[in-house]
Amino acid sequence: MSSGAFTGKMLEQEPARHTRKSGKAARWLKSGLVQFVVIAIMVLNLIPLVIVLSTSLRSPDNNTNPLNLFNELSFSSYRDAFERMHFGSAFMNSVVLTGISVVLVVILAAMASYPMARIQSKWSQFLYLFFLAGLVVPGQMVLIPIVQMINNMGIPSTKYTPILMFVTCSLPFSTFLYTGFIRSGVPVEVEEAAHIDGAGLLRRFWTVVFPLLIPVTVSVIITQGIWIWNDYFFNMTFISKAADSPLPLAMLGFMGDQQNPTQWNVLFAACMLCALPLLIAFSFLQKYFVGGLTVGSVKG
Amino acid sequence: MNSTVMKKTLYLFALPALVFYLLFWIFPIGKLFQYSVTDFNGYAQTFNYIGFDNFRDLFQGGTLGNSIRNTLIYTVVSVVAGNLIGLGLALLLNMNIRGKGFYRSISYIPTLFSAIVVGFIWSYVYMPDSGMIAAFLTKLGIPSDNLNFLGSYSTALYSIIFVEIWKNVGTTMIIFLAGLQTVPNDLLEAGRIDGCGPFKLLRYVKLPLLATSITINTTLSLINGLKAFDFPFIMTNGGPGTSTNTLIYSIYKMAFTEQMFGKASALGIISFLIIIVITAVAVLLMNRKEVSA
Repeated sequence: MSSGAFTGKMLEQEPARHTRKSGKAARWLKSGLVQFVVIAIMVLNLIPLVIVLSTSLRSPDNNTNPLNLFNELSFSSYRDAFERMHFGSAFMNSVVLTGISVVLVVILAAMASYPMARIQSKWSQFLYLFFLAGLVVPGQMVLIPIVQMINNMGIPSTKYTPILMFVTCSLPFSTFLYTGFIRSGVPVEVEEAAHIDGAGLLRRFWTVVFPLLIPVTVSVIITQGIWIWNDYFFNMTFISKAADSPLPLAMLGFMGDQQNPTQWNVLFAACMLCALPLLIAFSFLQKYFVGGLTVGSVKG
Repeated sequence: MNSTVMKKTLYLFALPALVFYLLFWIFPIGKLFQYSVTDFNGYAQTFNYIGFDNFRDLFQGGTLGNSIRNTLIYTVVSVVAGNLIGLGLALLLNMNIRGKGFYRSISYIPTLFSAIVVGFIWSYVYMPDSGMIAAFLTKLGIPSDNLNFLGSYSTALYSIIFVEIWKNVGTTMIIFLAGLQTVPNDLLEAGRIDGCGPFKLLRYVKLPLLATSITINTTLSLINGLKAFDFPFIMTNGGPGTSTNTLIYSIYKMAFTEQMFGKASALGIISFLIIIVITAVAVLLMNRKEVSA
């Protein structure tokens, strides 16, 4: 058997020797072609962002064609945009809103998933699907009664009100990720020692199970954190004061400017400022962004 | 450990999440059913029950059919094209090329932008006369006077669908890349020895093993498409005419600009049913395919 495999290999190598030279050239050509295709796609894909970056780096009164890339380097448009969107307070509002929401989502979703993953019964299966079904509900639809309801319940419209919607909206996907992860990745056996020690359920969960959930917690923080950070819709509904606006809502103040070429420099500077925090986070935490996106999908 | 007492206490863990979920997600849907048979306008505290008049109005008017049609086009095009482009990109960036890590990172960047920023940027790209595409064509000497992507009935919808795809393709690609990494090398090797070309390897080895990634990507973009709202809202206001009115955008407009909460609720109920049915059928079909693949 081994000798058969050996001769098979020999036979295969024979014709290869003949074509080695042309094969090498062909491979070079092929890899060059692939490289070219990739670069072409990347350029096409990102050219709008490059133009936005280049235009944002002009002074507000430079009205030359945006296609003349980087023909000026000035931060005065950034200064204007910074002031107009109240960047400092908007950024802090975004941090607070996203931070509180994500912490709440992690706590609520991880806890809710624990019984759904551990108990095998019709009820736990129902609960799992019940949460999952929430994925298909559009937030805009729910909002019609919500506005009314929140008024009736006497919940004041503060800058924290959107958190209620952020948390609720994030539960379906987060419980889905957590439940799948606990089912496949955290065997009951790990809890046995704690169980024998007489630790209560709550302590067992937070000291034994939760630390094992770090990969999926990262995934929840990233997938939910990105949409909450970027959301303008719930913020737009509940926040009326400019001083309370997070970044995407502050951008809404530029609505209409995209139709007026003389406003583009400042508008694009604002766009860059709005995207900058996540871009910086991404460049440092890339591994977690990509890993976090795929934890759920591979185990799925 | 599996005693019934244990089980009952364990269920308490789900309680806080359940309270949020019932209060702010399920209860409002129930309310929506109630509003759908009233003439509620969103502000007056009193309203009348008017039976199924809202539904009748919707079925007789043009909004419903038009919104369903636009939403279906939006969904089908963004699911099919988005997944094909994402898969193509993933296959390309899974090859042995220099700097693929860098290319993967930068393809992901559009995903990080807020929809509102993306909407602003692409409004500039599509703008007639001085927008990016028009300016490019002018530079190349191609007349672009008649070019109005967002202003013409025939192109507006496809133009915003393209923006949707552009924004989401990074996520699709990453999920496909993760799937491709689970394809064992010896299986590909075996395929090559058996004389499979690159196309056959893709069709008979890679694609079946990508079944889970395909299901996830399709489901995510399907739900995304059926719930489409952002780009009609930011870029076109549903126009020109009603050519980019999606279901969810129509609901929003009806409720918050036309003050017809009752009718909007009825449209919400109809949309809700459409979304659930389409998603359920698609998921069931894909699960069956996935098992047999």
